[in-house]
Amino acid sequence: MTTQQAEQAQPGRTPGQRQGPLSHIRVADFCWMGVGSVATRLLADFGAQVIKIEDRNRLDTPRRLPIYKGDLRSYGDEDANPDPDKGGLFNNYCRNKLGVTINMKSDSGRALAERLISSSSVVTENFAPGVMERWGLTYDRLRELREDVIFARMSGYGHSGPHHEYRSYGPVIQAVSGMSFISGLPDREPSGWGLSYMDNQAAYYNSAALLMAIFHRQRTGQGMEVDASAVEIGISLLGPDLLDTLVNQRPSRRPGFPRGNRSAHEDVAPHGVYPTAGEDQWVAITVADDAEWQRLVAAMGRPAWADEQRFATGTSRREHEDDLDKLMSGWTSGLGKHAITELLQAASVTAGAVQDPRDLDEVDPQIAARGTFFDLDHPVIGPARFEGTPISFSETVQENWRSAPLLGEDNHYVFGEVLGLSETELAELEAEGAI
Amino acid sequence: MDEQLPYAGITVVELADDPAGERVGKLLADLGATVLKLEPPEGVTSRRTGPFVQGREGDPDASLAFWTYNTGKQSIVVEPSQRAATVTELARTADVLLTTAVPRELATEDWSHDQLREENPALVVLSVTPYGLTGPWADRRTSELVGLALGGTLNSCGYDDHSIPPVLPGGNQTYEMAASFAHIGLLLALVERQATGRGQLVDVSMHEANAVSGELANPYWFYPRAIVKRQTNRHAQPVPTQSATFRCADGVYVYFALILSEPRAWRTLVDWMTDHELAADLTEPAYDDVAYRQQNFSHVQGLVEVFFLLMDSETAYHEGQRRGLPIGPLRGLEDLPEDEHLRERGFFVEVEVDDTPATLPGVPYRTSAFTAVPGPPPRLGEHTAEVLADAVAR
Repeated sequence: MTTQQAEQAQPGRTPGQRQGPLSHIRVADFCWMGVGSVATRLLADFGAQVIKIEDRNRLDTPRRLPIYKGDLRSYGDEDANPDPDKGGLFNNYCRNKLGVTINMKSDSGRALAERLISSSSVVTENFAPGVMERWGLTYDRLRELREDVIFARMSGYGHSGPHHEYRSYGPVIQAVSGMSFISGLPDREPSGWGLSYMDNQAAYYNSAALLMAIFHRQRTGQGMEVDASAVEIGISLLGPDLLDTLVNQRPSRRPGFPRGNRSAHEDVAPHGVYPTAGEDQWVAITVADDAEWQRLVAAMGRPAWADEQRFATGTSRREHEDDLDKLMSGWTSGLGKHAITELLQAASVTAGAVQDPRDLDEVDPQIAARGTFFDLDHPVIGPARFEGTPISFSETVQENWRSAPLLGEDNHYVFGEVLGLSETELAELEAEGAI
Repeated sequence: MDEQLPYAGITVVELADDPAGERVGKLLADLGATVLKLEPPEGVTSRRTGPFVQGREGDPDASLAFWTYNTGKQSIVVEPSQRAATVTELARTADVLLTTAVPRELATEDWSHDQLREENPALVVLSVTPYGLTGPWADRRTSELVGLALGGTLNSCGYDDHSIPPVLPGGNQTYEMAASFAHIGLLLALVERQATGRGQLVDVSMHEANAVSGELANPYWFYPRAIVKRQTNRHAQPVPTQSATFRCADGVYVYFALILSEPRAWRTLVDWMTDHELAADLTEPAYDDVAYRQQNFSHVQGLVEVFFLLMDSETAYHEGQRRGLPIGPLRGLEDLPEDEHLRERGFFVEVEVDDTPATLPGVPYRTSAFTAVPGPPPRLGEHTAEVLADAVAR
């Protein structure tokens, strides 16, 4: 489908004045992959005109990843020539953004990018180190184009230091920052993370950095370059165990660490994930103190084992935790995970089903009541569900005006209406492959 | 250059009693805000949870959980009888009230969000709670493990062996996700306030923060209607994939995703193995064909396992990276301060805590406009007299 057909098919895809606290901000967005795209999505959600700059010759990976409606494939099972507008992950990451294509290998492409930067006040990128430099787009150059520019650089290792050119993505960041090692059962291979958690967290920290820089510029008139390293963000998220090592010199490579699902506290038990009815279904239960234990015992219908002396105090429950966990599992395995959650929460016991995405989407009444997920139509994909922002504001508006741009969908709007290029100039750029 | 920190001049009244609220307050304090942390006479929960500085077990000023989430704040001890008056007084001139109380707890207070906002229309009330202030679960209980379970993250984490339950990743990440969105939500409110002069209520839900952070998990459900399944230390996917961790000679694992479909990565790996005389038959022309590589995946995987088993993890890391392969060792916490890259970037900082230098992680932002460094965590009640005297003077 051409852009023009898409517009006809879906009225409301034409860009206009946005709502939200960032509606005065235009972003020249060179971000791609996960971290950068999620970071700038937040700005687009809250009104910024985020202009995503793409290269037709090197598709953004989420455009290629085969997360398609009605076609189940693993992450690595890509089409050789994918339809760039069909990818669900791209749709998820790039809603509310505008999309243009620029060939940065061509002189007129780079000139066009500079023109776009001059009319923007924020520039974002998460390329491998050296790419922006190769295009001459250093902070010094950007300041010549726009003196108070905000230049946000998101990378794995930061833009200085001996390893700044190392290649990374979520799992590598999680490994190098210590995040993976501290996750797992003791005395065996770490289980680490089943997702690029650090792509999310690096993205969130970069969204905050961008907002902070905008806030700062509006107070002081001063722009800035931001260098955020995902490894450093990861280390800052390691929690009290890191200080135990740094301050007490207590190594993390020690018997009994990491702790699996058990509590860091010697008097807290039960604290685990227990099997429930159904295949591979689980419920998490954590009991903070003796009063909560007594509530749990009552809610379980006071089984005889629960009154045994060895389970009377937190410390003794902890000593007999292997037995306790077996007995707990005996109780949970006959019941459904949601039923246990309801029963125990009603009894003021801290418990929750291990929910999968279907549970979140179709079962969870809190997600439904808060409206966490929302739907938008897409010209190629059709209606799709999106992950919203987990914040309710009394004033601030999140305007979800459009699903992700088709490849180059907004070339004419951005280069024509925003930058003022004539139809003839646009046709020339198209003909020479610059856009 | 004028080195004003971004939150200089912003005053935050913090009534936070979990790692989510405390982390946001720390970020704000580290980046220049004046954060007035109100505590009961016995101190907040994190002062009692530990781990403690060795030899100071039970000392509320020596809890490393407190240090982790409370650098650079001011501690003001308030008697329960004075709490409402103090909150009301301080909120009158503050920019931000940061609270982690759920509705049933707020109902017991002699002040309300609405009342504070009426008295100070510019006030931003930043509420960070387990489920959000509204909805059927608003008053429910949570913990790190339960939060990650309900939010969906735990479903993706664990081992290939599904007789083992999903496994909690370390470091209070349920709370960290809420904290990250709380920081974002506050900033949106502060930017909006720059235009309107008005504050607002920002209601952050930890549960929702988790629910939107599953990376591939939700898109796999939203698009092909598939449920991802946990796999040891690699992406949960609808279908099983090959292991991506390899044990090295020093017993440390490295993460390295062997992607056979990328010809360049394949050649780089075979060249590397050849240089160590461990490529065996992988140099044979048949392996130039991706289909052949895929047919012989377990043979390839076996050779790669041996290759890594014969070198130590740091060598694997640096040699692999120098050849352009995204590979990383699963570092333990004790390895981090030794890392030459982090040292050169000065990421870890020495902070004087009670006259003793302590090594702490720095602020993970480097900018051309300012340099932010965490301050010491406050002793319980360290700033009570000073802050309350100021409040009375106003």
